[in-house]
Amino acid sequence: MPPAIETTSLTRRFGDFTAVDHVNLTVDAGQFFGFLGPNGAGKSTTIKMLTGLLAPTSGQIRILGADLTENSAELKRQIGVVPEGMALFGRLTASEYLRFVGRMYGLDRVTTDQRTAELLDFMNLAGEDKKLITDFSHGMQKKLALAAAVIHGPRVLFLDEPFEGVDAIAAGTLKSMLQRMIARGVTIFLTSHVLEIVERLCTHIGIIHRGQLVAQGSIEELRARSIPPPHPCEQAAPTSTPPTLEQIFLEIVGTDREGNLAATPPEQELSWLS
Amino acid sequence: MAQLDQQPEGAPSKIRQGGLPDIPAGTQLLAIAWLRWRIFANGFRRQAGKRQAVGLVLTIVLRLLIWPIFAAMALGPTLGAGYFAWNAISGHHPSQLIPLLAVVAILWQFVAVNGAGIAASVSSFDPASLLRFPLRFGRYLVLRLLLGLLTPSTIIGCLALFAAAIGIAIANVRLAPAAFLVLAVYAAMNLFFSRMIGVWLERALSTRRAREIFGAVMALFFISFQFLNIHRPAHHARAAATDSWIMNLLYGTNRVLAWLPPGFAANSILPGHPLVRLGEFLALVAVTALFFAAFAARLHKQFLGEYLSEGAPRATPSPRQPAPAAAARAPTENVQRATYNLLSPTIEACLRKEWVYLRGNGNQIIAMLTPLVFVFLLSRGILARHPSYLLAGAVGYALLGLLAALYNIFGADSTGVQLYLLAPVRLRDVIVAKNIAGMTLLLVEATLAWCLAEYLATVPIPLATQISTAFWVIFMLFANLTLGTLRSIQAPRKITLAQTRRLRQTTASKTSGLLVLAILLGSILLQIPVTLLCRHFHNAWLAVWIFAPLAAAAVAAYGLLLNHADRLILTYRDRFAEELCGD
Repeated sequence: MPPAIETTSLTRRFGDFTAVDHVNLTVDAGQFFGFLGPNGAGKSTTIKMLTGLLAPTSGQIRILGADLTENSAELKRQIGVVPEGMALFGRLTASEYLRFVGRMYGLDRVTTDQRTAELLDFMNLAGEDKKLITDFSHGMQKKLALAAAVIHGPRVLFLDEPFEGVDAIAAGTLKSMLQRMIARGVTIFLTSHVLEIVERLCTHIGIIHRGQLVAQGSIEELRARSIPPPHPCEQAAPTSTPPTLEQIFLEIVGTDREGNLAATPPEQELSWLS
Repeated sequence: MAQLDQQPEGAPSKIRQGGLPDIPAGTQLLAIAWLRWRIFANGFRRQAGKRQAVGLVLTIVLRLLIWPIFAAMALGPTLGAGYFAWNAISGHHPSQLIPLLAVVAILWQFVAVNGAGIAASVSSFDPASLLRFPLRFGRYLVLRLLLGLLTPSTIIGCLALFAAAIGIAIANVRLAPAAFLVLAVYAAMNLFFSRMIGVWLERALSTRRAREIFGAVMALFFISFQFLNIHRPAHHARAAATDSWIMNLLYGTNRVLAWLPPGFAANSILPGHPLVRLGEFLALVAVTALFFAAFAARLHKQFLGEYLSEGAPRATPSPRQPAPAAAARAPTENVQRATYNLLSPTIEACLRKEWVYLRGNGNQIIAMLTPLVFVFLLSRGILARHPSYLLAGAVGYALLGLLAALYNIFGADSTGVQLYLLAPVRLRDVIVAKNIAGMTLLLVEATLAWCLAEYLATVPIPLATQISTAFWVIFMLFANLTLGTLRSIQAPRKITLAQTRRLRQTTASKTSGLLVLAILLGSILLQIPVTLLCRHFHNAWLAVWIFAPLAAAAVAAYGLLLNHADRLILTYRDRFAEELCGD
C-alpha cells in the first residue's frame, strides 16, 4: 500500500523567503500524524500545498500514491480539509452548508441529507438550524468545519489547528470524531500548538522548524532519540519518567543559535515587569 | 450516529477501490447556483429586533430605488445603439457602424469598472473559495464566466449589441444573420476582455506599491482627459449631440479602428466580398479567442494554487535585540516624561501611530495632489467664467475627498480598536488625536488650494470674500468633523487593505454612505446661495455675518461631542466592536 502522504523535496518560496525548504515527508495510511512547529515554521504553508490550495515552488506531492498536481480533482475527492480560517460560508445555515458541500463532492441528495442530519446531531448542532453560520460561536464553527470535511468520507483528513479556541466540550466531540475515523483506517494529518492533545491522539510526529523538517517518526522513536544512551561504564539506572512531547519539542526547536531555551529570557530582560 | 461508524453507502465504497466515477458537471454547477441563491435569500434574514426590521425595510427601499435607475441607464444605450445602427445602414453611412461598436465596447468596460462597487454590494462569495472542492479546471473556468454574468456591464452591453443587430436587420434584412452572429461573437469578445482585465489587474495589483502606482497612473489619465476637454475647439461645444466631438474623434480614427475588433465586427457585417468578410470575422474570432486564452491562463494559475499577497505569510522570528534603555525604565517614569509635552501621552502615541499609517500610504499623497491639479484645470474652465466662486470652489473641491475620510476614522484600525476599549485611556483623547491628524491634512490641502486660487485669480479676491471663505472653511471642517466623528462611532466600517472590491456593505454603511454624501455636498454647496444672497444685496460682508456664527456653532458642537465621546462609544460599543472586530 503506498503512503497516504509523501513529499519529495517540497519547497515553497515567497520572494526571497523560503517558507518550506526541501521537506521529505512520509505519512503511512492509517496514521494519526501530528505536524508540529513554532509559529511561522511553515506548517500552514505545508498543509496548503498538500491540499492543493497553494502551488509548490518545487518538489513533488503524492497523496495515496498519485501525484497531486496531475490528479488534483480526483485526489480532492479523497481528502477532507479543515483549513486555517475554516473557510465557511457565513451566510448559510449549518444544514445548508453541509448540503452544499455534500453535493460539491458528488454525493446524491438522499445520502447528503442523511449525513447532514447525522453530523449535525453528532456535533450537537442540530438545534441551531435557525442561525446563520456567521452567528455561530468559534467552537461551533470548528465543529461545523470538521463535519464538512468528513461528509464525503475522505481517506485522508487534514486539520489545521482544529482545537484552537475550542472549549473542552467541543474539543471532546472533535476528538471523539477523529478517533472514530482513525479506527476506520482514515489517515489524519493534524497541526496543533496544544502538545498535550497531539501527544494523546497522534501516533507519529513530524517537526518543522524554519521551513525544514527536523524530526519525524513515532513518539517512541522521538523519545528514544531524545534520551542519551547510558555510558557503558555506568550501571543501568532505574527507569526514569520518559520525556513528554513538550520536552522533546523544546529540545528540538526551542533553542536559539547559542543553545539557550527561547522560552526563558535572560534575567536582566523585562526586569521592570515585577 | 451509528451510521458514521459504518461504511457509508454510495461514493465512499467506490473511493476505496480507487477508480472514482466523475462527478456530473450539472451537480456541481447546480450546487453552486443553489449556494448563490441561498446567500442572496439569507441576506434578508435578520434576527428579530426593531433595528434589523428598519435595516430590512431600508434595504428593500434602496433596491427598489436603485434598480429602476439601472434599468433607465440600460435603456439609453440600448435605444441609442439600435437607432444608430439602423441609421448607419439605412442612411448609407456604413462606416458609422465602426465607431458605434467602439462606443459600445468602451461603455461596456466603463460600466464594468464603475459597476464593480454595485456588484460587490450584493451578497456573494469569493469564487476562489471553491478551489478546495474537487472541481475540474474546465468547470472552474465556466463557473468564473457564469458568476457575475448578470452584472450591469454585461446586461447593458449585450442589450445594446442586440438592439444594434435588430437595427441592422430592420434597415437591411439580408444583413440580419451576419449581424446577429457577429455581434454575438463581439459580445463574447467584450465579456472575455473585461474578465481578462479583471483577473490580470487582480494579479498586478496584489501589492500595495503596485496599487499606488496604478492609482497615480489613473489619476494622470483622468487629468490628461480633462486637458483634452478644455483644449477642444469651441465649435465642438455647440455641435449637436449626434455629432459630438467624441463621435468625430472616433470617425477620425476609423482607420485605426478598422484594425481593431470594432472594425473586424463591422466589416464582417457590412456588404462586401465574401472572402474579405470571412477574413474579418475570423480576425474577430481570433481576438476573442486570444482574450479568452489570456483569461483562462490566469485562472489556471489560480486553480493550481497561486499566492497573491503583499509578501510571504511569515512570522519570522527576529534576532533578539537588547532592550532599549527607555523601555527598561519604570512605566511611571515614562508617563511623567510625556506629561511635560504639550499633548497628553495618549494623544501623542495615537498621533505617532497615525503618522506611521500616513507615511506608508502613497494613495493619500495622490489623493491630496490630484484635487489641486483639478483646481488648476477648473480655474481655466468653469471657474474662469465665475471668478466670484473661484476661492470657495477651489478650497471646497480640494477638501471634498479628504472630508469624506472623517466619516470613518476607526475603519483602518480594524480589530486594533479593541486596544482603545481595553487600555486605560479616555476615548476622547484617541478621537482628538485622529481628528488632529485629519485636520492637519485638511488644513495643508486648504492652504495649498487657497494659495493656488490667489495665484490663478485674474482679479484680486476681495477681503470680505477671503474672510467669509475662511469662516465657511471653519464651519465646513468642524461640521464635518462633528458629524463624521459621530458616524464613525455609530456606523463604522472596517477597511481591509487590498480588498476594496470585496468590502462588506451593511445596510448601516450603505445608508451612512448616502447620508455622508448629502452632508458633504450640503456643507459645500451652502456657499452658492450665500454668494447669490450677497450679490442680490450688493454686500459681500453679508457672507461673513452668515458664516461666522455658523463656524462658531460648528466649533461648539464639536466641543460638545468630545465631551460626550466616551459615553457615546460605550453606548455603541457592541455595534462598534462587531463591525470593526468581526470577520
